[in-house]
Amino acid sequence: MDLTMSADQRDLRAGLRDYLQGTWTPDRLRAAAETPALDRGDWSGLAGLGVFGLTVPEAAGGMGLGLVDAAIVFEELGRALVPGPLVATFLAAGPVPGADDGGAVVTSLDLRDPVLVAEHLDSATHVVAVGDDGLHLWPAEALVAEPAPAPLDPLTPVSRVKTPPVAGERIGSAADAAGWRLRGAVLTSALQVGVAQGALDLAVRYAGERTQFGRVIGSFQAVKHLLADSLVRVDLARAAVWAAALTVDDPEAGDPGEAASAAKVLADDAASQGGRCCVQVHGGMGFTWEVLAHLYLKRAWLQETCFGQADEHARHLAEAL
Amino acid sequence: MDLRLSDRELAFRDRLRAWLADVLPTLPPPPDRDDWPARRRYDTAWQRLLFEAGYAGVDWPAEHGGLGASPTEQLIFLEETARARAPYVGANFVGLLHAGPTLIVEGTDEQRARHLPRILRGEEVWCQGFSEPDAGSDLASLRTGAVRDGDHYVVNGRKVWTSHAEVADYCELLVRTDPGAPRHQGITWLILPMDTPGVQVRPLRTVVGSSEFSELVLDDVRVPVANRVGAENDGWRVAMVTFSFERGTAFIGDVIESRNILAELAAVARATPGRDGGTLWDDAALRRDAGRLAAEVTGLWALIQKNVSEASAGMIPVQGASVFKLRFTENRQRIADLAAHVLGRAALAMGDPAGGRVVEDRVNTLSFTIAAGTSQIQKNILAERALGLPKEPRWT
Ligand SMILES: Cc1cc2nc3c(=O)[nH]c(=O)nc-3n(C[C@H](O)[C@H](O)[C@H](O)COP(=O)(O)OP(=O)(O)OC[C@H]3O[C@@H](n4cnc5c(N)ncnc54)[C@H](O)[C@@H]3O)c2cc1C
Repeated sequence: MDLTMSADQRDLRAGLRDYLQGTWTPDRLRAAAETPALDRGDWSGLAGLGVFGLTVPEAAGGMGLGLVDAAIVFEELGRALVPGPLVATFLAAGPVPGADDGGAVVTSLDLRDPVLVAEHLDSATHVVAVGDDGLHLWPAEALVAEPAPAPLDPLTPVSRVKTPPVAGERIGSAADAAGWRLRGAVLTSALQVGVAQGALDLAVRYAGERTQFGRVIGSFQAVKHLLADSLVRVDLARAAVWAAALTVDDPEAGDPGEAASAAKVLADDAASQGGRCCVQVHGGMGFTWEVLAHLYLKRAWLQETCFGQADEHARHLAEAL
Repeated sequence: MDLRLSDRELAFRDRLRAWLADVLPTLPPPPDRDDWPARRRYDTAWQRLLFEAGYAGVDWPAEHGGLGASPTEQLIFLEETARARAPYVGANFVGLLHAGPTLIVEGTDEQRARHLPRILRGEEVWCQGFSEPDAGSDLASLRTGAVRDGDHYVVNGRKVWTSHAEVADYCELLVRTDPGAPRHQGITWLILPMDTPGVQVRPLRTVVGSSEFSELVLDDVRVPVANRVGAENDGWRVAMVTFSFERGTAFIGDVIESRNILAELAAVARATPGRDGGTLWDDAALRRDAGRLAAEVTGLWALIQKNVSEASAGMIPVQGASVFKLRFTENRQRIADLAAHVLGRAALAMGDPAGGRVVEDRVNTLSFTIAAGTSQIQKNILAERALGLPKEPRWT
């Protein structure tokens, strides 16, 4: 049993963190919030780092790593607020040609959702529809959808699907669809942990700089405890995400469905509460478009709706009691 | 990273399981909460059984009579004993988890030889005399004084919240030996034999209704200088060594208990008719709340595994310990609330066969966010040590 990062995993994280710090600077994020179309150069850059092919077997041109390695990577992507249909493209690597090497941008729809909304449809090349009967693939142009003028997360354009598509190319069985949902829940949770950590880092930095009443606000206990609460939620969620990723790869270690549900419940909570905390600690600045706090919170709210909402996962866990 | 146990750890687990399956059915029923002599007998008899089977002091180094088990084996021990509902460490808590480990690191050879084997065999019960009426979270403000008189210290003062004091043989006692020195530099750690003249134990009644802890009144109590652990006026450092043992593994078994209570809650709700037909469990809000608490329990277990892994790698999981304590204690209190809501008016009496255990847990766990560093203090610790925010005002 070992839930600490290996040297390789720390290197993987450090390399990606360096790249993302250089690429997704605060100014770049602000600019992307105005013109959110994906830059295919960035997309290829992520693919070049192996982001999408991490768990694809080496024989098939991937890196042959485990889901927990992907969780470490996705936490970093979340922390840097990298936009794009990251989880869907990752999950499509293999069945959808080009997904692993940056040649394809794959977005997805879960046909269980009562309202079908696609992310990044204008930039996408493919859409995977996840149904209880299996996975279906369409070219992105085949989807009739209305882009929303003002998406909640300014970096994530969303389009309301008008007519649910009929048949596409079937690329996976019902079991593949279940696996898609399971792994998607774990990776979305990893993104949420990253969002929560990024929001906490930003809030802690501000709390150490902003002065009121002749003291930095981080010396006020009310502020400290807000931040400590965020830290507790992030650390708990991260442990749950790692354990879930390991359990999905090694079902003997536990129940993958339960582990993934627990991770999603805790990670959604860490991200949304952490985003709120970040806005609150910034005071009036936190309510401005300029400060990045809102981007963390809005991404958290977006991702809460992906791969099962927390309440659904909670009821699933309750059934197992 | 992986969640698997090694072959050696699996063998350790299987041996322990087999032993527990043999020995647990032979135990007498646990004694009444208020019968302290019987509780001492019960807890120390269990310790003796552990000793005879080679399981005493799992976390103690082998050269001091312990098992020298790895952090993962310690986790297995705590997990398996909790799952099998073996007796809790109980009255042996301070000896096994505080005083013994402190003596191993800081004691003299004589002190070790005198106490360690007896603690392991369940022949010696200890209590902790740190807190005082005016020194709780701010422990370094303690005032119980000790004045040197030849080869003795003469101790005067008061301690409170001393768990197990009624049946303890020894007390790990923090006293002030230099009132003129800066607060942290005038404190000394002493071994106080509880039968020394001048020691008075006054049991305090807790919110549960029983007496879990006492007040100690110390009136011209003479403690041999040979009972000092560490140097005179170096007791704060020694106490920090003691605390470093406290913040490790104390609540692991309780997380398993949290899961058990949730499962019982679900079973009761499934069997209880609802007002509008069906059962209470048909209420989606109840299932959502129970499921969220279950998610936290799962996360807490992962956090334990992470902390234990860090300990195995030679790191000290300080941040992990505070994160765990904060979240575990709050989670358990909310589980007890939810269980009580399910039971409704069946949760109005402690002894009640249906709801008694839940009621008692709901009341008892009020102490979880107070004892061993309150939640507010834990948050201060995290904000300062993990997030690097400015320190709280404190005396120097
Ligand atoms: C069941 C139980 C068993 C115990 N057993 C023992 C024992 O065996 N031996 C022993 O020595 N002690 C024991 N204790 C004592 C325990 O360690 C103290 O109760 C604890 O440290 C808190 O101290 P206090 O009770 O004086 O509360 P206080 O320190 O007076 O705290 C009161 C309130 O103020 C808050 N507060 C205090 N300081 C700060 C601050 N700086 N920032 C923010 N909030 C603050 C606290 O969080 C709390 O809410 C036990 C306590 C309990 C409940």
